[in-house]
Amino acid sequence: MPDDVVVVDNVYKSYRVGEVVTWALRGVSLKVKRGDMIAIMGPSGSGKTTLLNMIGLLDRPTKGKIYIDGIDTSKLSDHELANFRNYKIGFVFQTFNLVGRLTVLENIELPLIARGLPRHVRAKIVMEALKKVGGDESWLKKRPTQLSGGQQQRVAIARAIVTSPSIILADEPTGNLDRASAKVVMNTFLELNKSGQTIVIVTHDPEVANCTNKIYVIRDGMIVDVKEPDKSRNILLTT
Amino acid sequence: MSLSVMTFIADAFKLAFKVLKERKLRATLTLLGIMIGPLVMIMMGSVVAGYSSYIVNQIALLGQNAVVIYPSSDYKLTHEDLNYIKSFTYVDEAEPFYVSQGVIKRGVENVQVYVYAVKIPLILRSIGGLEVVEGELPMEGDVVSALVGYKVAFDGQGNMLYKVGDVITITVSEVKGGRITKTRSINVVVIGILNEYGGALLFSPDQTIFLNSEAGTKLLNIRDWSGIFVLLRDPIYVNEFTTTLRETYGDKLTVIAFGAIAKIASSIASAVTFINFTTSLSALAVAVAGITATMVTSVIERTREIGVMKAVGFTNVQVVLMILAESLAMSLLGGSVGMILGVVGAYMLASRGLEIAGETTSIIVRAQPALTPDLFLLTSGLTVLVGIIGGLLPAYMASKIPPAVALRYE
Repeated sequence: MPDDVVVVDNVYKSYRVGEVVTWALRGVSLKVKRGDMIAIMGPSGSGKTTLLNMIGLLDRPTKGKIYIDGIDTSKLSDHELANFRNYKIGFVFQTFNLVGRLTVLENIELPLIARGLPRHVRAKIVMEALKKVGGDESWLKKRPTQLSGGQQQRVAIARAIVTSPSIILADEPTGNLDRASAKVVMNTFLELNKSGQTIVIVTHDPEVANCTNKIYVIRDGMIVDVKEPDKSRNILLTT
Repeated sequence: MSLSVMTFIADAFKLAFKVLKERKLRATLTLLGIMIGPLVMIMMGSVVAGYSSYIVNQIALLGQNAVVIYPSSDYKLTHEDLNYIKSFTYVDEAEPFYVSQGVIKRGVENVQVYVYAVKIPLILRSIGGLEVVEGELPMEGDVVSALVGYKVAFDGQGNMLYKVGDVITITVSEVKGGRITKTRSINVVVIGILNEYGGALLFSPDQTIFLNSEAGTKLLNIRDWSGIFVLLRDPIYVNEFTTTLRETYGDKLTVIAFGAIAKIASSIASAVTFINFTTSLSALAVAVAGITATMVTSVIERTREIGVMKAVGFTNVQVVLMILAESLAMSLLGGSVGMILGVVGAYMLASRGLEIAGETTSIIVRAQPALTPDLFLLTSGLTVLVGIIGGLLPAYMASKIPPAVALRYE
């Protein structure tokens, strides 16, 4: 396995609305090393979510290449991209994106259902993932709405790590949470990172970004700065 | 099919039922639309098939090689005609008969009966399954002894009201031009009782009193033959025989071949079955539209959820299968309920009976619905097809939603 889990190489992304072409990304390049935890910061509309979608293979670049675990993803078909997402990438969203009618167990096992794994195998893996994020067995049969926001986000993290992906991509994971819940969630990410999990967090919150090892600042679709985080001002240390 | 694919399909159905449970009202209304097709197919299909089969069988039982000849109102059958009919080499037997209608007292009720003066052994030979269960046949030349049908001797509860040796008074009607013109009473002695035949089409042995041919003129006071009963050596001659008679006599005679009637009845039954089938298909087409509308709405509402599924690794094919599982779950559920209701409806409908009205009398035929495995297989197959066709468009729509767009959907 190469050292770099993700390599973004001079990626451009444009959207066309009628005759107007808007460039969301303009020549973005970055590398994420295995076991690293980075933040992508920037104001609204700067292109950070677009970049995350590119890395997460949810969208294709207009120009440039993205390598995941050394594989050029531009050559993959839609079917292969889906499998790639299943095996290599875990997503955490701002609004959790849990399916309300399904139980916690069923939400976490969704990526494993796509793999066609039998139920009893899934149940074991789900339990391990839930424990890693600080959840317990009593959550399994509950619906997402029966949990607090912080708990729901931890269920979403469990869903992201249940397939043991190469990288977790979190888009504003604390954006919908109160301070206390945000701390718990960030603590969960840090624990996962300590155990070797590569994590990319998109955020506009400096205190969240300061939990990571490196901060990429994006503006107008370009990386304008790469800075070291101020660990003394991260969310876990603030009141 | 690999184990992982089968596991995925099982999970897809499990998730599909969860969707239906979540949207109960919408699912229920869609199911109502779906169940009409299978309900109509099972109910009407089995009842039509049951009655068709009953009617065709009853006519066929009357003898595939039997032909009955009736004169028109301005023609009288004579010995010359009888001899001409007997001159055909393939005519095994030909006998004239007299027929009248009458009413008897059976307990406290008046029962309508047919009175046939005919060569009785010929009738027993021609009609399969008709046997004397009590007593014997009237001796030749005996004009007052009668062989009576089951429903003449027994009431609806199976109580014997006339036994061998009893005298039955028949109020006989004289019918002219389809109207009863005169009535008078005659007495006959029961000498034999027939088994329950059950047939009631064209000819109903259960409601008939059979007398020897001589009784036609001597007891019933009928001067002219009502018709000639002909038995051919083989059913293959029926067509040639009836054609020749029709060519020879034109409108003077009405020639009825039971075998030919059975074929016509069978053709009519096929036509009715086809009409019923196409009607059911229309109902199923409506069900397809219902499922499509419901599923399209469901896919639009769940765009974000589909985005999440794609994000966690569901392929486009798997998304298609998920949506198809949902539409199939609906169609199978609706189809099953429809088929169960169809069975209940079929028995209710069949129990009403089918009234076949004549000019002066009517009979009610009751046949069991033909609930055959073939009918259930066809209905189930079409129900599955409804689910697949109804789900195709929404499934295609869902598979084509770009995941990044779906995740942004509000």
